Amino acid sequence: MSAHQHAEGHLPHEPEKATLEGRNKVLGFWIFLGAEVVLFGTLFATFIALRHRVEDGPDPAHLFELPMIFAATMILLTSSLMSVFAVQAMHRHNVKALIAWLYPTVLLGLSFLVLEIYEFTHYVHEGHRMNTSAFSSAFYTLVGFHGAHVAFGILWISLLIGQLYKKGLTVVTAPKVYVSMIYWHFIDVVWVFIFSVVYLMQKVG
Amino acid sequence: MSENHSATGEQTKRHRVEGPQKHIIAFILSLVLTIIAFAAVAAGEINTTFVYMILVVMAMIQVFVQLAFWMHLKDRGHLFPIISMIAGVVFVFAMVIMALYWVWW
Repeated sequence: MSAHQHAEGHLPHEPEKATLEGRNKVLGFWIFLGAEVVLFGTLFATFIALRHRVEDGPDPAHLFELPMIFAATMILLTSSLMSVFAVQAMHRHNVKALIAWLYPTVLLGLSFLVLEIYEFTHYVHEGHRMNTSAFSSAFYTLVGFHGAHVAFGILWISLLIGQLYKKGLTVVTAPKVYVSMIYWHFIDVVWVFIFSVVYLMQKVG
Repeated sequence: MSENHSATGEQTKRHRVEGPQKHIIAFILSLVLTIIAFAAVAAGEINTTFVYMILVVMAMIQVFVQLAFWMHLKDRGHLFPIISMIAGVVFVFAMVIMALYWVWW
């Protein structure tokens, strides 16, 4: 107890930026996100180029169901808000609150993933498979890549929760938490473009 | 425990730990922008080009709100993160324009 509180008392206000290593980690992660912008940008460009090549497959306007997409959007948005509160708890040096906010972040991410898996199996039953058309390939590559990012984020944040239990909040664990929360927000930002460009625009046109 | 609390209190005085208000406003703003986008599509019977414009504008505003507040890009010392995001966008546009030129002209 005393060792833990001792460390807490001496933690700087923003423990993720207290060491050079921590600052480098955050900066390096932003450069990685710049590369992720390129990755998702090219996948979006591919999808936009191939969106009308439906061939014999189902028409996107009939395939996509708005209530399910809206539910997925709300889940991911709320998850993003939970991770904001996690970082604020970290800035208050409150490890218990930090972990308590990380749990709903992960669980909401998990429910988003379950909903997406349900959605994809539903599409496959409707005859919308990876190899149905250029449209379906571009759709599954783009949305599936985003889903893979969510799955990785869930795994990553779960491991960080375990590490926080074991090591507490220090200048070593703080940058890891901060960086994973930036990643989680980035996934939500990408989803904004996915529901706008992939789902809503195809529903209209 | 009380000792720990007083230490945190001092931190609060010196650094003014930011409250959740701004982030809750960002959340409500994102919520409203999302609902406008979905409502524009669900309403139907609106000019398609107009709906496309609404979708693009709503998405852009929401992305800027989330980048600025939730990813802290509006805070001090975030020049290099902003540069790397802009670099990513510039790269992707250069690649797409190059690919378009290569394939179609």
